[in-house]
Amino acid sequence: MNFPAELKYSKSHEWVKMDGDVAVIGISDFAQDALGDVVFINLPGEGDSVTAGEAFGDVESVKAVSDIISPVTGVICAVNEDLADAPENLNSDPYGAWIIKVENITGQEDLLDAAAYEALCAEEG
Amino acid sequence: MSDLKRTQLYDVHVAAGAEMVDFGGWEMPIQYPTGIIAEHLYTRHACSLFDVSHMGRLLVDGPERVAFLQHVLTSNVMALEVNQAQYSIIPNENGGAIDDAYLYRFEEDRFLLVVNAANTEKDLAHLMTEVKNYDCTITDITADWAAIAVQGPKSKEILTILSGGEQITEPVKNALNTLQLEGRTVRAAKTGYTGEPLGYEVYIKSEDAAWLWNRLIELGAKPAGLGARDTLRLEAGMPLYGHEMGVDPDGKEMPIFAVSLARFAVSFSEQKGDYIGRQALERQSAAFKRIMNRDFSDLDVLPKRIMPITLLDRGVMRAGMPVYRNGEQIGWVTSGTMVPYYRSEGEGLATKILDDTAKRAIGTAYIASDVLTDDIVEVDIRGKRLKAVIPPYHMRVDAPPFARPILYKPDEEAAAADTGNRAAKAVELLRKATENHEWRQKQCINLIPSENSASRAVQLLCASDPAFRYAEHRKIKSFYDQDVFYYQGTKFIDEVEQLLVEQMKEYLGCSEVETRVISGQMSNMAVFSALMDWKNRLDRKHTPQRLGYVMNNHIIKGGHLSAQPMGALHDYIAIDPVTERSAVVNFPVCKDNIYKIDVEETKKLIDRYRPELIIFGKSMVLHKEPVAAIRRFVDEQNIPTTIMYDMAHVLGLVGDHFQKPFEEGAEIVTGSTHKTFFGPQRGIVGVNYKKEDLKYGLWETIESRAFPGSVSNHHLGTQLGLLMAAYEMNTFKDEYQRNIIENAKHFAKCLKAQGLDVAGDPSIDYTETHQVIVSVGYGCGPEVAERLEENNVIVNYQATPEEEGFTASGALRMGVSEMTRFGFEKEDFAKLAELMADCVLRNKDISGDVEKLRAEHTEMRYCFNDEEMRDAMGGLLGQIGL
Repeated sequence: MNFPAELKYSKSHEWVKMDGDVAVIGISDFAQDALGDVVFINLPGEGDSVTAGEAFGDVESVKAVSDIISPVTGVICAVNEDLADAPENLNSDPYGAWIIKVENITGQEDLLDAAAYEALCAEEG
Repeated sequence: MSDLKRTQLYDVHVAAGAEMVDFGGWEMPIQYPTGIIAEHLYTRHACSLFDVSHMGRLLVDGPERVAFLQHVLTSNVMALEVNQAQYSIIPNENGGAIDDAYLYRFEEDRFLLVVNAANTEKDLAHLMTEVKNYDCTITDITADWAAIAVQGPKSKEILTILSGGEQITEPVKNALNTLQLEGRTVRAAKTGYTGEPLGYEVYIKSEDAAWLWNRLIELGAKPAGLGARDTLRLEAGMPLYGHEMGVDPDGKEMPIFAVSLARFAVSFSEQKGDYIGRQALERQSAAFKRIMNRDFSDLDVLPKRIMPITLLDRGVMRAGMPVYRNGEQIGWVTSGTMVPYYRSEGEGLATKILDDTAKRAIGTAYIASDVLTDDIVEVDIRGKRLKAVIPPYHMRVDAPPFARPILYKPDEEAAAADTGNRAAKAVELLRKATENHEWRQKQCINLIPSENSASRAVQLLCASDPAFRYAEHRKIKSFYDQDVFYYQGTKFIDEVEQLLVEQMKEYLGCSEVETRVISGQMSNMAVFSALMDWKNRLDRKHTPQRLGYVMNNHIIKGGHLSAQPMGALHDYIAIDPVTERSAVVNFPVCKDNIYKIDVEETKKLIDRYRPELIIFGKSMVLHKEPVAAIRRFVDEQNIPTTIMYDMAHVLGLVGDHFQKPFEEGAEIVTGSTHKTFFGPQRGIVGVNYKKEDLKYGLWETIESRAFPGSVSNHHLGTQLGLLMAAYEMNTFKDEYQRNIIENAKHFAKCLKAQGLDVAGDPSIDYTETHQVIVSVGYGCGPEVAERLEENNVIVNYQATPEEEGFTASGALRMGVSEMTRFGFEKEDFAKLAELMADCVLRNKDISGDVEKLRAEHTEMRYCFNDEEMRDAMGGLLGQIGL
């Protein structure tokens, strides 16, 4: 399992990459593996507000549906619409397949670094 | 998960990297590293293995086992023969399901009941209480035998490698067999929970389970977990206890008849007695019938039903989500997910399954019983109402070896009729008919065994004046059985018909002939109708009884369609009260030659069932039928029956070189006059009853079931043509029939020598008829036949007795009669065999060589062709104005 060192992670298995003032958000390798084959993603719209610790969308695998929790509070400035047609990219390339980009960030959850997140996954594993 | 139970294959799953979960108290693989979608797709296009050892396996033994099972199950256990299985439900008194189950009869005197893993304890407690009143025992053998489901289009091929070529089971759903796989005994069932038309569940001793699993994987199968099992069964529309059976989200019990499929598992036969839940189920059945007739006035007993549902908006439905119609909640989704499928292109038999895949959000719903197919509903998916539709089904399995996804498509509006220039179309039609005539008569090698070409004289007579006349006639007792015609101008037709009757009596060797039936199928219908009428002749005040047991050749063993309940027998055969199916008994076939009737086993069945009618005859026919042996047997045993021989395919072979049906003891012969008999397309009935016989009355009934029973206008043009064909046949039959059989044997030998897989017994040169059967590989028949057609060789793709149906055909059925008639001799068939091997085995273009070979043989033989004949034909041709 892959835990890129340059990313931060939430306890609910999202990853965040800061690109200047913009937070790029996706789901982790551990999350996609636990979900199994992802078949559908419910995406928010550009301009929607997101709140740290609250769901902004959901991802469906064959087995089940899971909320995607925003690690930050802010406004969505970009949505990866490609995922609507190819949700399986979340399985094949979880760190390439970003879901949303958030700007005007006013708050964030306590995020973990790669080592701490890997330890958390090992525990849940 | 330490308190969970593990199957015999637990270690194998863990070693394969499976994700293990708690399922009904068992630690089971939900998926392997490949994932649910890949496992689902691999099942649909190749072969997957499922460990189903967690399901409860209960052995029911003892003298009162049948009475007990009749009491605790909904199905009719008496209908289950040895080596058959049936779907059943364990009902409660309210007509709800305690569980659904499969009942297997591998042995004469024991039954195996397989139940859901999560329900095994509950089922066992219920059954143990009920069994106290019966002299029988229930033994839980779940731990002694493992169960592996082997499912998918390649399952048969893979298992057959392990069986060393032995057939796994008969190629019909629910067939069972006990056999050896590389020396280990297994019990195989043609059952499954994936909807695959090819799929088996294999029971094996616990200690051999891992061995079998690993061998199957070595041979190309892949493991699949419970996740794929669920998406596969959902796509196939099969219910899952706890979702489509049991209690609904409101906590109310779902009636068994809420699942449409359940009606096949519920019997109200007298044999069932007063079983648990019977009265409630009878009320449900009545409610179900009303609903099916769209009478929604009383929905109390069956307020909701299980229906398939397809999401039209983007999203995924899940179990428990509410379903709305016009803003009002009408039920819930009971199962739902996103299911993958292979895309396909092309139409009909040419449909090609692509490697490209897609997904669709489908499910089942428990919704108001007045919802109809194609109705639009809404599903509440986490607060959003999304549009969905009720499709007729999600998948079909009637084109084996593949299960085919059916994507929801609303009906398209029919294109407007083309009303353009009809005069131009008329010319175009003639031009195309000319082209077709030339192709089939001069360029093609026609090997369809049920076809032939008629002589020019026959063709000409078919087109002459009587083709447009009427000549109804009937024997009148007051006139000493003289025929009375209803129309004037029919003297010539009367004369022709009398001459034809005499020619056909001579040909068949019998006392009476009916020539007015216009097809082989109609011949059979007239005979079946007459048999039924004659059976009821002494009681006209009650609804007539249908025919009781009828013995025939099973369609997959080469039997005629027109002698099956799905064909001409349909309206004349009774339902067997024990099996609740058509009262047909099939001829058993020899183990070492599936194309031949096993006479000794047949005698046992005749003794047991006492069939009212025995129908010999096949459409895939390599051998003589054992008419004489069976006649001797029924006479010796004094068994009252009627022996009929449907000679459709072999009518042109009646005589010294094949069979003389009446000399052998047939009472009735039917047939079509355009297969080996080279006349126009008509039917014929011959009987050998004499005026003083009791059954002469049956003959008179056959005449009246021909007219007015079956035809008013009996197609007088082809009747005239048939008289000419009968003259030709009676003149040339010795040479024609001998050449046909010699050519067929030679053709078979040459095809074999060329490396093709010829069916039949090599010791008799494969065939005793005009037919030759070549195996070209499971499911490859349609493709190879198409390739041959592109090369001007016309054959018939055909399922062999071991295959599932015509779309899975692996054989070509060929006949030599038409080309023999065009003068093909042994060396021509040898050349043809060489060309066909080039095309079939080496994919070579043989079209030019075929045309060349055909061009050498365009003059018809076995017909009159002297100068006087040509002059006479010219006269008629001139009168017709050509």
